Amino acid sequence: MPLDVQGTFVSQKINKIRWIPEDYVETKCFFTGSWDDEANSIKVWNFERINEDEDVEYPKQLSEYKVDGDITEIKFTDKNTIAASTSDGNVRLLEISSYNRQTPLREIFSWKKLHNFGGEQCSCTSLDTMEGDVATIGEDGNVNILSSRTGDISRTITGADSCSLHSICFLKHNEVITGNLRGHMKIWDLRSPNNKPAASFLLAGDELAATCIIHHPTQPHYILAGSESGSLAVWDLRINSFPASLLKAHAAGVTEMQFHPENPNKLLTSSISGELWDWNMEAMTKSTKTSENWMPLEDKNTMSVNSLMPPLHKPINTINCNKGRILCGADNEAIYLIKNFKY
Amino acid sequence: MNISGYSKTPADSTLKSSDRAKTFILPEKCFEKNIACTWRRGNTFTIYPRSQTVNKTPTNTIDNKILNIRQEILLFTSILRKLVNESNGTFLSLQKVAENAKNSDHQVEFLKLSRQYRSIVRVCIESLQEAADKETDNLEKNSLLSYITIFYSIECIWHLCEILFIDNIPGDIVLPFLLEWVRFHFPCHEQTAAQMLEACERGSEDHPEYWDTVVGMVVQGRIDVARALLKLHSSAELNEFKLIDNSLRTMPVYSVYGGVSSGEFTIVWKHWQAECRSKLTSQALTSQPNLELIMRLMVGEYTAFESVRRKYASWFDVLGGYVLFTRPWTRSRELAAAADACAALDGPHSQSHLDVVIRALLEGDLHQVIHEIQQMSDNGWFATHLTDILFHCGKLQILDKHQTDVTKRLRDSLILEYGSLLMDHKSLWSVGLSYMASCPPEGLRRAELLLEKIPIESEAKAMRIIAEAKKYELSGVVRTVCGCGCAARLAGGRAGGSLCWAARARCPRLCARAAHRVLRAYTAGVPLPAADLLLTAGPALLLDDALLFLGKYCDFHRLYKSKEFKNAAKLLISLITSKIAPEYFWETLLLDTLPLLESEEPVFSSTDTYEIMLCLELRAKYLEGEKAELLRLALVRNLARTALLDGEEE
Repeated sequence: MPLDVQGTFVSQKINKIRWIPEDYVETKCFFTGSWDDEANSIKVWNFERINEDEDVEYPKQLSEYKVDGDITEIKFTDKNTIAASTSDGNVRLLEISSYNRQTPLREIFSWKKLHNFGGEQCSCTSLDTMEGDVATIGEDGNVNILSSRTGDISRTITGADSCSLHSICFLKHNEVITGNLRGHMKIWDLRSPNNKPAASFLLAGDELAATCIIHHPTQPHYILAGSESGSLAVWDLRINSFPASLLKAHAAGVTEMQFHPENPNKLLTSSISGELWDWNMEAMTKSTKTSENWMPLEDKNTMSVNSLMPPLHKPINTINCNKGRILCGADNEAIYLIKNFKY
Repeated sequence: MNISGYSKTPADSTLKSSDRAKTFILPEKCFEKNIACTWRRGNTFTIYPRSQTVNKTPTNTIDNKILNIRQEILLFTSILRKLVNESNGTFLSLQKVAENAKNSDHQVEFLKLSRQYRSIVRVCIESLQEAADKETDNLEKNSLLSYITIFYSIECIWHLCEILFIDNIPGDIVLPFLLEWVRFHFPCHEQTAAQMLEACERGSEDHPEYWDTVVGMVVQGRIDVARALLKLHSSAELNEFKLIDNSLRTMPVYSVYGGVSSGEFTIVWKHWQAECRSKLTSQALTSQPNLELIMRLMVGEYTAFESVRRKYASWFDVLGGYVLFTRPWTRSRELAAAADACAALDGPHSQSHLDVVIRALLEGDLHQVIHEIQQMSDNGWFATHLTDILFHCGKLQILDKHQTDVTKRLRDSLILEYGSLLMDHKSLWSVGLSYMASCPPEGLRRAELLLEKIPIESEAKAMRIIAEAKKYELSGVVRTVCGCGCAARLAGGRAGGSLCWAARARCPRLCARAAHRVLRAYTAGVPLPAADLLLTAGPALLLDDALLFLGKYCDFHRLYKSKEFKNAAKLLISLITSKIAPEYFWETLLLDTLPLLESEEPVFSSTDTYEIMLCLELRAKYLEGEKAELLRLALVRNLARTALLDGEEE
């Protein structure tokens, strides 16, 4: 079946969108987090068919959780719990009922003003989760490690960066990588008591921000970072220091990247330039034994890039993929559902 | 501060309707005497009491208030925001098509986009309808219903406009499209007809609306339906019925592709109508007045239309039928006469707004149309988009009183107005920007001014504004936003952030300011901040001497800490000799040589030592007294042990 793109206007700029995973049935519900509006909120939606025989599904809002500031990140800590960060420096742990999706989200923990400039407001720019731990970063340049079980702040790296941090990713349970406004990447060993990075390197020479970082799902020593300039950098942490390859990709900043959960060869990226791409990263897993240049850039056949939908006129802020269904949220106040994606 | 919309009640209802000014009474006491007002950002202004009563006793607080007043913008309601965003997409596609259309004909594309606009309006009406059905609050419901009315008329006008100006009608025979328009927007009797046909019962004339429906179908030009309905009459076997049926069946229908020239068709048509007229004059139908009425309509008798008109809400309903039975070969430019005739059916009543617009459209007076639709309370959405598409289709030509073509100026001014309105909104600013950008060069100039005024709450927003500004090559905005970032961080005492934003702005002045701040703080005993940044800064350091100095000085600290004294000394000497150090920093710089001079292994060569000595003498005013003596001593001792060494090396 061909790709089927269907947009719905929701009257809010969507900054984050996440499917709520289901075990045995097709996913129908998802979260959205809005930004850059008078009042922002996390909403729960459900896809509903209006006519049984019709194949078109329309999203319907189930519940709304209002917040101050913008939603900057939403990530799951377990099946029904999300950690959400906002631009006023707060981090919340919210739970959705697994029986009735319509019940309002329940706040389990909330860390008020976790990131701050003393009295001044400071944005918590992003967070990542791993096995119940939450790592948050902010414009204050601090890294906080939170426990979603006890609600404690288990570790704080003060002044992890002198600029603002913009992206973070757990490498291992005790290791995180952060990227800042200048594209300066640092790896932190959380066991070490001193506030010194274990390693640090630059994303690119252009001094632009690292907007998102992810690691390869099956080979976690491969790290991908998206830049504000639209390029995509790949590192092999076993060799370190310099990006193994820096790909000139989108015309403007990369906003989010995701490896397909079922097929680690598929990478999805979204961009400020309104593009939504699907990359075939097979070359990555077939990593050549020679340590350098694991992805021969000249070989165009191994790296094919497809556009999943015609470019929008406004930035796409977020993507999330579940099996053959991709969701994306954009600055034109719309969400798009792409069906029949082959993976 | 309370932000109030127009919640105040109109004070003076005796205002003349021609006078568009409205009066509002300010509710607070403090405004009774002297008030002043000032503009804020966008379409907000503030009213405040001019004479502030100063109170000595804190118990007696007179509540002086500041009122923020803004125009309530219909388009900012959540349902209509969908319309704003969706139509923005279509608008931008239209600009792209128009750009490529310069060398070829893109009429088909324009038609497609025009239909897209209409479907957006339709979706909007549907969701408004849905919301109105759900709404329980009467006031809200009424306003929703009034929005629906507005968008219904927009849809209706747009459709007619599309037929007359955007679509390329074969042979310019407008009738089938006109009939379609009437059927779509004024669907009278349609449901009744469908019900009757579905029931398919003989004797349907018992239905109270039977005859109205039949006549309605004839007037709408649905001849087949009318004939089918007549067959359901219990006396359909009568001669009169057969006569009418026959006349309806034989009615010639013009088709451009039918192989008949329009002249030929006219003759056939006139012949047919003459036949009908003769049947009428032969009194064959007098026993059936309803059938007689149908026949009179068919021959285009004005009085017949007059008697039918009363059954409809407006004259638009009969327009299609009137053209069909008087001049079916009418071209779109000749519709004005038909419109005049139909409008005259009403008698000399006052015309509704829609009447005026539709008549102006049929007369082809687009200037008047745009003037009228600007009065609609949709915040200019309709006027902007319609004018734009008509402009790109090349169908719009508007002359001012000096006969100069002002079409482009009109289009631009409407778009700029609409764009500025949207840029005022917290979320829709980027939509507004894309409108402004479609009218170069003035639009971008204005956008620049408005973009700089957008409040920046977070770096994410700043980066988004920068990205948008870069897209339209507004480098001034990029610099300003970065500069703001730099200044804000400097004020908060965050050196790293301010240096980073200054480097982003590529602005030497900002870099210098941030660097000096750090260096001064260091001389006052604050440790050097942002080492991670300075050590990796690269080419950004070259923006300014002070920044370069700071970067190198930071590097010196790194070398010193990692006990690479030789390299540290080398760097220090180059810093001293390059003379880019700020004056207040000389003391620190010279004293930094002291521990290196005193190190066990000599690290400064004799030449280096001479350099330091020279510097010390030249800048004696920065280092005086005991410290200078101490340094001199160290220099001399170093010279003593290195003078011979250097000789050996040579």
